[in-house]
Amino acid sequence: MKPTENSLLPLEDAREAALFFVVGALCFLAALAALSAKSTYGAARAWTAQVEGEYTVSLSGADATAADEAARLLSGLDGVITARAFSDAEINALLEPNFGKSGLPADLPVPRLIAVTGAADAEDLGARISTALHDAGHSAAVDAHAEWAGDVRRMLSISRIAALSIVALLSATAIAVIAFATHAALLARRDIVDVLHVAGAKDRFIAGLFERRFWLLGLRAGTVGALVALASVAILIALGRSGAERSGLLPQLSLDFPDLAVLVVTPVIAGLAARLAAGITVMRSLRSVM
Amino acid sequence: MTQLRPDMFDEAAVRLDGVSLRYDSTEEILSGIDLVLKPASFSFLTGASGAGKSSLLKLLYLAQPPSRGEVSLFGRPTSRLSRDELSAMRRRVGVVFQEFRLLNHLTVYENVALPLRVMGRKESQYRRDVEELLRWVGLGERLHKRPETLSGGEQQRVAIARAVVTQPNLLIADEPTGNVDPDMAARLMRLFYELNKRLGTTVVIATHDLGLIRQIDAPVYRLADGMLVQENGEVGPTARRRTDPLRAMP
Repeated sequence: MKPTENSLLPLEDAREAALFFVVGALCFLAALAALSAKSTYGAARAWTAQVEGEYTVSLSGADATAADEAARLLSGLDGVITARAFSDAEINALLEPNFGKSGLPADLPVPRLIAVTGAADAEDLGARISTALHDAGHSAAVDAHAEWAGDVRRMLSISRIAALSIVALLSATAIAVIAFATHAALLARRDIVDVLHVAGAKDRFIAGLFERRFWLLGLRAGTVGALVALASVAILIALGRSGAERSGLLPQLSLDFPDLAVLVVTPVIAGLAARLAAGITVMRSLRSVM
Repeated sequence: MTQLRPDMFDEAAVRLDGVSLRYDSTEEILSGIDLVLKPASFSFLTGASGAGKSSLLKLLYLAQPPSRGEVSLFGRPTSRLSRDELSAMRRRVGVVFQEFRLLNHLTVYENVALPLRVMGRKESQYRRDVEELLRWVGLGERLHKRPETLSGGEQQRVAIARAVVTQPNLLIADEPTGNVDPDMAARLMRLFYELNKRLGTTVVIATHDLGLIRQIDAPVYRLADGMLVQENGEVGPTARRRTDPLRAMP
């Protein structure tokens, strides 16, 4: 029978099984945090793009006819794409959460609202709308949605930075755990390292054995973590869709190509981090001996 | 097979100049040792337990730098060698450890082939040699066994086979016959002698076995109180000119 060539390092032991679990869990959390960061970024961009050219004009002391006239006036302004006066039904729908289905008393003066959509590159559109309405004899207040978007953008940026910080923290933790585990593995296999060392193995050769071992461990653990993250995201998406409009509390996750790329890259980064940590730990440890 | 050449004797195989060794802040284990072993010499190292034999051997197989002094192998001061050069130097040294240091997750065959793998040799190049060597030491039927399943004597023979498989320039053995019967001890000593005589391997054997020492006409160095004293004979190539010291052995 032809003798077989086993690895110079023994098969995995219980310590590596525990490390596999820890790295897998960290990769799961890191992947989830990365997906959340990306979703937050995407949502912020989509939302701000949506409100960037939006204005709401309030006309005081005007009826529906005056509002329609004002809307026509605004439609002719340079930079305005659409201008549309809200109907009574639309105004009542907006007030319904506060005043109920019975609507407002008929004698209560309620401003008429005009929704204006302007071109994104239109300059000073808010001021020009205000001037045009004033010149036409309307008492109007113009609300640019972009001013509100600024606050939301800042909040979403903070959320994004927090998510990225969590990703960085989890990655650093994974690397530290792997480095610690590699050092423990090296101590546990000191006999093997000693025999190889005395047999004339170069430091790089010995480090390479541990690098290969931990590269595969990181890759496999990262794959499991990424797959669990994928399953979690799929469940959250399914829950979000089944909850229809009442899913606002759930993160708006998706599974498009960049999301899948994040899940594919996670195990590779975990493997590379494990390999790097193992290599540095072993080389540093070997330099302490002759 | 390596042939003996005149230039092999130009430089000492081993040279210790004023070598001392202490671990951390302890007392010196070895103190001011001077030693020259010529290439192709055969020497014994003896001394009481704890005298520092294993520490001296560690210096010789480059597992430990001296606290003071210089260890030179094959004419090169080891303190000036880079890490890669030290690795290359270690490949010229075969070591038989007292406690064997076999790797239990590898088979007997793989343990013996390990130094050849470290050297980057392909299995197709060495398989036959390794199998032949293992047959020669009486382990031809144990190729695929794990060391932990072998007796102490068998493990010792695996350790010896691993040390000599690369045909090293310097062979260092720490109590190499401690766990084998007299017949096998003589067989193993013949292997060391053949390496010494035919390949010019410099052999250093640390042993308590006075019977073994008495049977072989070779210089004996005794370690006592950290000092090294030569008890008999000459060191160096002259050893090769003696008659076969093992002729009287079984």
